[in-house]
Amino acid sequence: METVILIVGFLLIVAGCYCLIRTYHLLKVIIGVEVAMKAVTMFVILAGFINGKAPLAQAFVITVIVIEVVVAVVAVGLALNLYRLYGNMDIRNLRKLKG
Amino acid sequence: MEAVIYICLGLMLIFGILAVMLRSLLKSAIALAGASAMLAIIMYLLGSVWAGIFELSVCAGLITVVFISAISLSNTDKEDLPRLYEDAKRMAALPAVLIICGVILILIVAKTSFMLPAAVPAVEMADTFREIFWNQRQVDIWGQVIVVLTGALTVVALFKERE
Amino acid sequence: MQVIEYTTLLVFAVPLVILLINILLPRQLAEKSSIGLAYLAPLVQIVATAAGLVQIAQLKQHEFAISWNLAGAVSVRFAVNVFSLVLLFCIGMVTLAAIMVANRTVPQKRAGFAGLLMMLIVGMNGMVLVTDLFSLYVFLEIVGISSFVLIAMFKSDTGLEGAFKYLVMSVLASIMILTGLAFVFMQTGSLQYDQVGAAGGALVGPGAPHLALMYTAMALMIAGFAIKTGAVPFHSWLPDAHQSANTAVSVLLSGIVIKIAGIYGFIVITNFFGRLPGIDLTLALIGTVSIVVGALFALRQSHFKRIVAYSSVSQMGYILLGLSTGSVLGLLGAVAHVFNHATFKSTLFTNAAAVHEQTGTYDINELGGLEKKMPVTSFSSLAAFMSTAGIPPFAGFWSKLLIIMALWNSGDWVFAAIALIASIFTAAYFLRLQRKVFFGKLLDKFAQLTEIGGSVKWAQIMLTVVTIAAGLLFPFALRYFGGIGIL
Repeated sequence: METVILIVGFLLIVAGCYCLIRTYHLLKVIIGVEVAMKAVTMFVILAGFINGKAPLAQAFVITVIVIEVVVAVVAVGLALNLYRLYGNMDIRNLRKLKG
Repeated sequence: MEAVIYICLGLMLIFGILAVMLRSLLKSAIALAGASAMLAIIMYLLGSVWAGIFELSVCAGLITVVFISAISLSNTDKEDLPRLYEDAKRMAALPAVLIICGVILILIVAKTSFMLPAAVPAVEMADTFREIFWNQRQVDIWGQVIVVLTGALTVVALFKERE
Repeated sequence: MQVIEYTTLLVFAVPLVILLINILLPRQLAEKSSIGLAYLAPLVQIVATAAGLVQIAQLKQHEFAISWNLAGAVSVRFAVNVFSLVLLFCIGMVTLAAIMVANRTVPQKRAGFAGLLMMLIVGMNGMVLVTDLFSLYVFLEIVGISSFVLIAMFKSDTGLEGAFKYLVMSVLASIMILTGLAFVFMQTGSLQYDQVGAAGGALVGPGAPHLALMYTAMALMIAGFAIKTGAVPFHSWLPDAHQSANTAVSVLLSGIVIKIAGIYGFIVITNFFGRLPGIDLTLALIGTVSIVVGALFALRQSHFKRIVAYSSVSQMGYILLGLSTGSVLGLLGAVAHVFNHATFKSTLFTNAAAVHEQTGTYDINELGGLEKKMPVTSFSSLAAFMSTAGIPPFAGFWSKLLIIMALWNSGDWVFAAIALIASIFTAAYFLRLQRKVFFGKLLDKFAQLTEIGGSVKWAQIMLTVVTIAAGLLFPFALRYFGGIGIL
């Protein structure tokens, strides 16, 4: 069973990173990030289940969730500021820096 | 119990794929909330009760609210995503990619007889969750306080209009 | 509590207190005085770490704990040794230079800038002082979040773009590092340094039961920390972020953040798992490719800050080569190069700020002959360039020598040869920068130019003095460390 959880977790990370890399919309990037983070929290809980130390894993997961929320808020803040600057949420606007 | 875990895993994967591939950003955010809910159930079944509660209330709740407010503040319409951002075309390859990756992973696991460490039954710990969280992991708690403070400073720095 | 515990607690407490004062002051007063108030944090940190270095001579390594008032076991645990004190000293020094530059280049939002800077300092100090892999991750995130906002807060179009790219890469890095940590946790049952260290031998030795899992975990963690360091092939965010940020923030990012967030992470994980076969070779390859690619790209740029940013990529490669040897000499060379890179990179970005403040441009094709009008800037830039290229008696010579010696001792003479030859590239791109900006004929439009004054000038003077002094005193410092038993 644990191996199945591991495989599904990796598939979710692949899905999240695929979304992050291929999309053109700023907010979709953040959704991709969130999907991948779900898989990572699942790995931590699985680790806690395997080595018997479930309370320690839960302490880790709670901290990771708090950090994830703050990073999401910062990313949304950046996206909204880019919207204010360019009028749309297109990631193809970000082409000024090259080389 | 294992059957329920498998069902929830499958649902979580489906919700994750939906979150990536749906055409409307609003429905994407709700699919993400669904995936969080499934993850919370899995956490509960694996013995991590407190993490499941926290995940349910914060990820399925707070982050969805943040997304929906961002979506409405940026006036992203339902039509825009497929039309302006060619999203459906860009994401269309996702199921194929996932199936290929799944097959590769299953082959690796089967061929190399890869094994995770065997699950140890929950050590009868002298410390409960309360003891561990508030005493042993105090550094993390101070870290969380500082992260939230930084987040507050961020919001002030990024969102203030009037100087 | 001993003196060293007080000094370590000060580096946490002072920035938080300054932040509190910043928040509580009324708006007008905060805007005027926040940068001046912010000077206290790095000054206290420099003094505290110097005092700590004096005391650590007797202690070698000190681990201590502070408890909350709940009755119970040890809770918050910190450890200091010589290397962490040296890193803390670097943090203090670079932050001092950054605040001195910020005094000139940050006209508005000073209170917000100072507040976020305090959080960044707390995050970096925390990373160096904790004794637990997960707490390392938490403080790494604090450093990351503060840096995104510091880059973006002035809301220029390039600033927001650089910050967004950095954020995406940084989140990928966090995902990889956390997955790696989860796999290690599966096997060891705890993420504290002492327990991971005790179990580490069994995990990476030849008879380890779950070697595939360990390799996956190490690959993920190396990739994650390589993104944070800006090593090739994960360096794509670095030039954009360092170029588009306000120059005071560039000083911080290139001077200390990529090293604490990235290199210190490498030091920790190679400390525990470095004997896994193949890790040394991977680090050496990443290091060598970074040196060469960074130098080659730097030769093609025409934006002052972009050249300096690619130079950072290149120098991180040297530090990774030093770490890849796995020997104490290599570690010493790497930490020495961290210190030297902090000085000369901060000097270069301070020069960029000075040039921009006085001439209004960063494009080196539009500049020329500035040394006649800006002698202090020109001399400090020359000193930084010679230190980077490894020319005696500047400090960079010693750290590069240590790294190349360590590579030679462990038999990697191919990498040593490449590192030596790449110094030619380093000299090439910096010579081009010096020639185009400072030497040559003074253009007519700069006839009225004056030297930069105020805090930026003092920052340049201070950093140049540190570079030259470190170069002259290095052998004595080595003898001191040998005396207290590190070598």
